[in-house]
Amino acid sequence: MDPHLLQRRYEREKAARQQAESLLEVKSFELYQANGELKRMADEVAAQSSQLNAILDRSLAAFLLVDADGAIIRVNRMTEVSFGADAQALTGRPVASLFAEDCRKDAEALIQAAVTDLAAYADDDNERDVSSELTGRAADGRTFPVEIGVSRFELAGQLHTVWICRDITKRRKAEAKRQALEQELRQVQKLESLGTLASGIAHEINTPVQFISDNIHFLKDMMADLEQVFAAHAKAITALEAAGGVAVLAEVKAAEDDADLEFLMEEAPRCIEQSLDGVKRIGKIVGAIKEFAHPGTDEKTAIDLNKALKTTATVCRNQWKYVAELDFELADDLPKVMGHPGDINQVLLNLIVNAAHAIEEVPGDALGKIRIATRGDADRVVLTVADTGCGIPKENLEKIYDPFFTTKGVGKGTGQGLAITHNIVVAKHGGAIDIDSEIGNGTTFRISLPIEATRQREAA
Amino acid sequence: MKGVVFTEFLEMVDQAFSPEITESIVMDSDLASGGAYTTVGTYDHGEIIALVGALSAKTQQAVPDLVKAFGQHLFNTFVKVHPDFFVGSSNAYDFLEKVDSYIHVEVRKLYPDADLPTLTCNRPDPSTLVIDYASERGLADLAHGLIEACVSHFGESVKLERTDLDPPGTAATFRLTRIN
Repeated sequence: MDPHLLQRRYEREKAARQQAESLLEVKSFELYQANGELKRMADEVAAQSSQLNAILDRSLAAFLLVDADGAIIRVNRMTEVSFGADAQALTGRPVASLFAEDCRKDAEALIQAAVTDLAAYADDDNERDVSSELTGRAADGRTFPVEIGVSRFELAGQLHTVWICRDITKRRKAEAKRQALEQELRQVQKLESLGTLASGIAHEINTPVQFISDNIHFLKDMMADLEQVFAAHAKAITALEAAGGVAVLAEVKAAEDDADLEFLMEEAPRCIEQSLDGVKRIGKIVGAIKEFAHPGTDEKTAIDLNKALKTTATVCRNQWKYVAELDFELADDLPKVMGHPGDINQVLLNLIVNAAHAIEEVPGDALGKIRIATRGDADRVVLTVADTGCGIPKENLEKIYDPFFTTKGVGKGTGQGLAITHNIVVAKHGGAIDIDSEIGNGTTFRISLPIEATRQREAA
Repeated sequence: MKGVVFTEFLEMVDQAFSPEITESIVMDSDLASGGAYTTVGTYDHGEIIALVGALSAKTQQAVPDLVKAFGQHLFNTFVKVHPDFFVGSSNAYDFLEKVDSYIHVEVRKLYPDADLPTLTCNRPDPSTLVIDYASERGLADLAHGLIEACVSHFGESVKLERTDLDPPGTAATFRLTRIN
């Protein structure tokens, strides 16, 4: 090659080398800066990771990262504590194996719902979770109730789920305790009602007891008189046999007259009939009290509302009979409703006693009216208790369901009756309660209770 | 334009013609860079046009033929320098289909400002591959040479038909049909 050309190529290559060196220097500096930035970011990520780990490890809930096949990828400290196994032993295990055998299908269904059943999820991320309560099983075989929330998300293009499990043993115990207390409270309220009604019930029982007692005394005296008559008859038979007849017959007639045998024969059957009726009345009252006071069960049962109304009206008869006439307009084919009988009785008692108290407030001696009606609608039973009492002022209508609100005089109301009624009807039985009231014209309470659950149970 | 295109072009001229012609066209082209290129640098696209023009003038060969020949040379260089790009491709169609979706993606990771052509591929039937080429640089001849070298690299018998679209050089359709 021509030396000039060689020299030019050398210059060109030298210039290229200088360019390359300059470029290397620039790139090295950029690399240094990028490295510094990377280190700063790595430190930041490490710090955030430490914070997240601290949050996860101090959490009172067990957190599990699970892949789309249901295998555990990572767990937090609380998972180790709850399930009694270390992270290494848990990693790779099917998450369903952490639950009691009878719950595993449910756990697998949660995975299915979270990962594959896309229709179960809306686009809204907030709705991308499912929850359930299952029984957890620790490594030592101990089982415990656990509340689970499962959320899904994408990680590196794969669907994953996060399981948040909370041991709810303490909560369950507290709930059981609360339920026992509520049951106890319901019984106390019932007994309190019975206590309030006790004097009336005693009076109701005392009246028939009084006339039964009078009748028995009458029958006792009657028996004494009859003994004399029968003695005279015996004497007459003996004398007639000895043929001394007439004088003895006169004695017999005298004994019959003394005993007023005609009256006795007329009065005795009536007396017995009345006593039997009295005993029946007492039996009815005692039966009603027994039914009313029965503690019931935690389970809802099918209730015949008409029968419950009759029972309650009997128990509290003394509360209304002096102030009102009570009319029943009960539907013959009324469907049963599912509920707690004791609670429903309490509601009916509150409504009837309130009606009686409202009528009592009306001036004058005329008896008022309490009309109790029932009817069945398509999906509910409607009970109406209407009175001709004093009515409720508009300003009080909003407060009547407030606990301890009462306008009754001292000793007549604690202000809990309608609060309890509202709680029982709405919260416990899924029903509704509404009221119409007009000052001077009376009040009507309408209670509706759903019957769908009853139908489902009967169908089952 | 990346420096590797310039260094490889001069390398080709060295090999196909002579170092004297290389130095001559560098001098004739009056280049801002002075013809001092590094593979990792970035240079004015106009310089390659000037160099090809100078080579054409010097050798009396048509510019399209020279650019196409350069495409073939460049492909063989890629085979040597980037063997990893060929892993998993057993035929020309498979390789050409991943130029846009894989190789250009990798290039952009290293050189985010790289101005690359687009190659849209489709197979109307198993023996046919249609490539729609588009680039503002107007280097359809370079693409032609690259495709030819690719087919040759895989030792296949393929009929290559080219249809230039307007404006000439910036867009073209290459239709490859396997010959039994």
